[in-house]
Amino acid sequence: MAEIDLSPITRIEGHLDFKINVEEGKVTDAKAIGALFRGFEIILKGRDPLDALVITPRICGVCPTSHNDASARALDDALNASIPENGYLMRSILLGVENLMSHAAHTYVLFGPDLANKKYEKHEAYPELARRFAPITGTSYKGAVFARIKLDEIFAIFGGKHPHTTFVPGGAPVRPQLSDITKALSIFMQVQDFLENVTLGCSIERWLENRSLKDVQKWLEEDERHANSDLGLFIRYGPELGLDKLGRGPGNFLSYGVYAQADGKNWLPAGFYDGKHHTLDQSKIEEHIKYSWYTGYEGGRHPMEGITEPYYEEGEKYTWAKCPRYDGKPAEVGPLARMIIDKDPLVLDLAKEYGPCVYTRVLARLHEAVRLAAKIKEWLLEIDPAKPFFGSYERPSNVEGIGLTEAARGALGHWVRIRDGKIDNYQVITPTAWNVSPKDSNDVHGPIEQAVIGTPVEDEDNPIEVQHVIRSYDPCIACTVHVITPRKSYKLKVV
Amino acid sequence: MVNVVWMQGATDNGCLVSFLNMQQPDVYQAIEKLGVSISYQNTINPTSGKDVIATLEKYIAGEEQLDVLIIEGAIPRGPNGTGMACFIGPKSFAQWISELAPQAHYVLAVGTCAAFGNIPAAEPNPTDATGVQWHKTEMGGFLGKEYRSKAGLPVINISGCPAHPDWVAQTLVAVLLGKNVELDKYNRPKDFFGEEITVHDGCPRNEYYAFKVAAEKFGDKGCLYMNLGCKGPHTHSDCNRRLWNRQSSLTRCGIPCHGCTNPDFPEGSMPFFQRRRLVVEGWKVVPYIIGSGFMKLAKPERLKNE
Repeated sequence: MAEIDLSPITRIEGHLDFKINVEEGKVTDAKAIGALFRGFEIILKGRDPLDALVITPRICGVCPTSHNDASARALDDALNASIPENGYLMRSILLGVENLMSHAAHTYVLFGPDLANKKYEKHEAYPELARRFAPITGTSYKGAVFARIKLDEIFAIFGGKHPHTTFVPGGAPVRPQLSDITKALSIFMQVQDFLENVTLGCSIERWLENRSLKDVQKWLEEDERHANSDLGLFIRYGPELGLDKLGRGPGNFLSYGVYAQADGKNWLPAGFYDGKHHTLDQSKIEEHIKYSWYTGYEGGRHPMEGITEPYYEEGEKYTWAKCPRYDGKPAEVGPLARMIIDKDPLVLDLAKEYGPCVYTRVLARLHEAVRLAAKIKEWLLEIDPAKPFFGSYERPSNVEGIGLTEAARGALGHWVRIRDGKIDNYQVITPTAWNVSPKDSNDVHGPIEQAVIGTPVEDEDNPIEVQHVIRSYDPCIACTVHVITPRKSYKLKVV
Repeated sequence: MVNVVWMQGATDNGCLVSFLNMQQPDVYQAIEKLGVSISYQNTINPTSGKDVIATLEKYIAGEEQLDVLIIEGAIPRGPNGTGMACFIGPKSFAQWISELAPQAHYVLAVGTCAAFGNIPAAEPNPTDATGVQWHKTEMGGFLGKEYRSKAGLPVINISGCPAHPDWVAQTLVAVLLGKNVELDKYNRPKDFFGEEITVHDGCPRNEYYAFKVAAEKFGDKGCLYMNLGCKGPHTHSDCNRRLWNRQSSLTRCGIPCHGCTNPDFPEGSMPFFQRRRLVVEGWKVVPYIIGSGFMKLAKPERLKNE
């Protein structure tokens, strides 16, 4: 049995440590352990409900706008808000720009450098992969660094700054002029240049014509710019590097739906998939604590009734992350889940052919990014600066609210209970809590744990396969609000 | 070659995300022209696990010169004095900082968490978190009042939630060029946080403020100070002069300033959307009220709320 220390896992957002058992070159058990607790939910208790709009985005500086959106939606719900069409558009643009930026950062800065890992040195594509994807020096890496700065500029035109704008119930506080919109569109074209020339090798529209793997094959053969683009290269070499064999998750997918529209629908729909498509019923969300250092209840508990009572013991409990389940099942969240729930034909075809693996997950993220880029442009053109951006909200004293949305890395929910005009209970379940969750009351592992178990480890000094799997989920530990760790004697070792 | 180690504690990574927007110099100029070598930064680090630990231990042992230690995030001392509410590999974040700080020539506390404690240190301070050398408005914090880096300086605080990339970049460049960075009473560079600068300066709503035309609700055109809790007039930073992401600022987008660079943020600013005091510290109350009355009378027709 091998002893490898994987901690700290870098090129993810925040503090993640990881404990695995390796036998005969294969992972036999896995424990995902977050390493940070700040206590946001405790700090929010007794505050003015609107204060959550400023405090909760600071749970995560990587995906703060998803917390902006979730907190505003929870208060929209609680405070009976009325939102004009421009208000919806503005929120979608800001969240969309952030999610696109996050996908770019994940693809090129967090995940991409692993393609230049020494494990692949002997592969014929290695010199080209290294030239493009090596950290800092890679040509595409460098391009992405500047493209994400441009996306942040678009964000700031409407949100004031990135990270950390503030959303409000009832719409958007900003009143952009036509010249703000044309400026945003002009900066967007610079981002589009990178996306089309470097990532895709074709126009956004041409890529979106691909609706099956057969279409993608045709696309690859149609023009050498397609085949030699970053995406073309990944599509061709991903299976050769074995990425289609790694990181098979539980096969259940959850999306809360995102980019709310004035017609009451979301652009990307909510739902749950476990082999069959189901309508989302948020009352089926529960958090378990059998393997988490908490006490106070057995089985699962809905977040509106959530209890956070820390309790450390040396025994079977092994993490401070709570364990969210949907209808009793672990669920993968993120771009792959969103595309499956949306019944995107290309991603459904990919998932059918390759299963929910690292390769599928990375391609689903890129495909969603292209769809999102096209949509952001549409939203910008739909804004009517002459119409209002803010509607109204009320201030009832005793009320509850639920705000469900999607961060780049998956489903994000805020649940707020207001008593006597103050926050009585505020509970957050982040996307990373879903993906890095520990075992539940039925001893079923969380999605990343399941995906890591069974992973071959070729070189114990370079367990890149396990890192591919973890990073393919784009975990963001800054987001994992419940996560804490107990004490100094705790060893982060691979036994 | 300038060795930089960037440590992240109880943070949301927002200051790093903000720093990556740096353009003067950009990341590549910093590396190529200024010789900056980032030995460890978790989010962008090429390697993981034991390579990271070995790098940090090398600096602790003094085998390699640690030119600049950048700290992002508050330092939790809990639970129960263990510091383990935040850890990196085998050691608590607090332990790493206590071992690295004595070796550093300069220490920069980037962001309000590292500078003053911020949200993690907000009451009831569940993890007993504090800033690197300050706890809110009091000097001391984790390293204590007496701490000086090898260059003989206290910790340089660059507050903000997040810190503006320019605040960090220009301080870094000044330090690398051997310039003396003047600090304010909270040990922040005066250039960005000085007494004479407020978020109010450069706010396009200043004319509304002058004539006391108040925004009544979000989305209104008036000044955000009177009814929506803008902290701009008593927050010392240059957000509305420098602008964010080269484009805008919160108040330009209808969002009241939350006072995020202040040492008492967030508690000193909550409730965020209510005016907490009639006047700002230093203002003379009676003349202010009388003056306000006259300014209302002086208001030109075009300055209507809607």
